[in-house]
Amino acid sequence: MEQSAGKMAPGTTNPAQEAPAKLELRNISKWFGPVGEGVHAVDDCSIEVKNGEFIVVVGPSGCGKSTLMTVGAGLEAPTHGEVLVDGRPAGPPGPTRSVVFQKFALFPSETVEQNIKFGLQMTGVSAAEQETRLAEQLKIMGLELFRKSYPSELSGGMQQRVAIARALVMQPEILLMDEPFGALDAQTRTILQEEVQRLHREKHYTVLFITHSVEEAVYLGDRVVVMTKRPGRIKKVIDLPRDVVWKTGDIELAAEHPEFIEFRREIWGLVREEIVSI
Amino acid sequence: MIERRLERMGVMTDRGKAAAYGIFSLSVLLALWICATSLFQWIEPRVLPSPAQVIRQFAWIITEPFSGLRLPGHILFSLERWGWGVLTAGLVGIPVGVFFAWNPWFKTFLNPVFELIHFIPPFAYIPLAVLWFGASTATQAMVVFVAAFPAIVINSQLGVAQVQKIYIDAARVFGASPFRTLCRVVLPAAAPSIYTGLRIAISNGWMALVGAELVVGKVGLGFMIAQGQENASVATIFVGVITIGCLGVLIDTLVQRSERYVLPWRRVAS
Repeated sequence: MEQSAGKMAPGTTNPAQEAPAKLELRNISKWFGPVGEGVHAVDDCSIEVKNGEFIVVVGPSGCGKSTLMTVGAGLEAPTHGEVLVDGRPAGPPGPTRSVVFQKFALFPSETVEQNIKFGLQMTGVSAAEQETRLAEQLKIMGLELFRKSYPSELSGGMQQRVAIARALVMQPEILLMDEPFGALDAQTRTILQEEVQRLHREKHYTVLFITHSVEEAVYLGDRVVVMTKRPGRIKKVIDLPRDVVWKTGDIELAAEHPEFIEFRREIWGLVREEIVSI
Repeated sequence: MIERRLERMGVMTDRGKAAAYGIFSLSVLLALWICATSLFQWIEPRVLPSPAQVIRQFAWIITEPFSGLRLPGHILFSLERWGWGVLTAGLVGIPVGVFFAWNPWFKTFLNPVFELIHFIPPFAYIPLAVLWFGASTATQAMVVFVAAFPAIVINSQLGVAQVQKIYIDAARVFGASPFRTLCRVVLPAAAPSIYTGLRIAISNGWMALVGAELVVGKVGLGFMIAQGQENASVATIFVGVITIGCLGVLIDTLVQRSERYVLPWRRVAS
C-alpha cells in the first residue's frame, strides 16, 4: 500500500488510498414492492469487507440483515446502490461468492458428495480436481462417513457442515453466511462456531456473516456492524481486537474474558435500543 | 427393519393392520356373494352368477378363445392401448406442466385453452378418435391420453411451483444455468408431485380405456364385457370386471413401489 501511495497521480485526494475492498456494499437501499409503498428493508447501507476480514452484521430480527446478504450475493438487485468485488461491479451470483444459507438449502435429491460437488460440476472443474477437492472438504468437515447419505438422513448440524463444505469447496474469494447456525441446537452451534473461527484463522477467508447473536458476533468478528430496526441502516461499526488469545480458543472460555464481556455489553446495548424503541 | 422385528414380536404394524383389514373386508364380500348365490340362492344365477360359475368362466376364457382371443390376449391388447396413451400423456404432459410453472407467460397464454379442454369428458372424444384413427390402437390410446393428460399437467405444474426458492437461489449461487437448475434441482424436487400425477393419470386412463373399448374395437377387456352383454353371459361380464379391477390395483401397486427406486432419497425422508 505504501509503495503505491508514493506513485499516486497528482490530484488524487486520498494519499493513504488502499486497494479496493474485496467486497463492498455501497449505499445499498432495498425496497420490496414499489418505492414508497412496499417494504423498505434496507436504507443506505455501506459495508466494506477487506481481503481476509471477517465482518459480522448483527441486528434485531426483521432488520434487513438477510436482505443485505441476498443483495451481496447478487441474488437480489438493490433498489439503489451497488455491490462491488475488488472495486468492480459484482454482477450475477457466481462461484467467487459462495453462500451458506440459514436453512442449509442442500438439494434433497442429492447425496452429501453430490451436493458438495454441485458447484464444481456447474463451473466445469475437471473430474479429477473435483475428487481431490471433495476429499479435502469431507476430511475438514468430518463428513467422510456420510458421503453417500442424503441430507434427510443427517442431523441439522451435519447438514450445515455439508452446506459449509459445499461453499468452501468452490475456493471462493468471498464467503457469505446468513445466520448459518440460527437453526441449530445450542451445543451443535457452539461446536460449529469454534470450527468456523478456526477455519478463518487458518485460511483467512473473507467473510460476511449475518447473525442476531451478539456472542457469535463478538467471538467471530474482526468488525461488527450493528444495524437499526427496519428499514435497516448502519447504526454503528465496532472494531474488535484481532489475534487476541480469547478469540482463538473455546467460546465458553472467550465468554469469560473481560474484554469479551465489555464488547458484548456494548453491542447488546446497541441492539437492545433497537428492539425496545418503538 | 423395525417393522419386521415388531411383526416377529407379534405386534401388528400399520401396514400389517391395513393388509389384515383388506383381507377381512374382501372375505366378507366373498362370503356374502357365496350366501346370495350358491348357498341360499337369494339372487337368480342369470342376474348374479355364483363364484363357482365365474371361476369356471375364467378357466374357460383363459383356455378357449372368446371372440377371437383368449383372456391374456384381450388383456395384452388393453394394456397396449393404455400403455401408449399414458406414455404419450406423460411425455407431453410433464414438459407442459413444468413449463406452465417455470414460465409464467406460457401459463397465461395456454391456461384458458387447457381449462376448457380439461372439462370435456374423455368419452366425448371417442367419435373424433374413431374418425381420425379408425379401428386402430391409436383410437383407444387417444381416449386414454385425453383422460390421463390433465392430471399429469396439473400435478407437474404444482410440483414445480412448490419448489422452494431457496434451492433455486442455491443453484444460482453455485453457478447453475437456468436449464441445469431445472434438470438437477427443480425436477427432482417436483418429482413426488409428478409421480402423484402419474398415478392419477394411470387410473383415469385405465377407466377411460375400458369405456372406450365398450364402444369401439374388436378386442380388449371392455369389448369382452360388451360381448358378455350381447351373449347375455353375466359370468363373462364378471370375469371382465374382476380382471379390470385386479389389473388396476396391480398396476397402481407397481407404480407406487417403483417410487422407492426412482426417487431413492424419498425412501429415507419419511
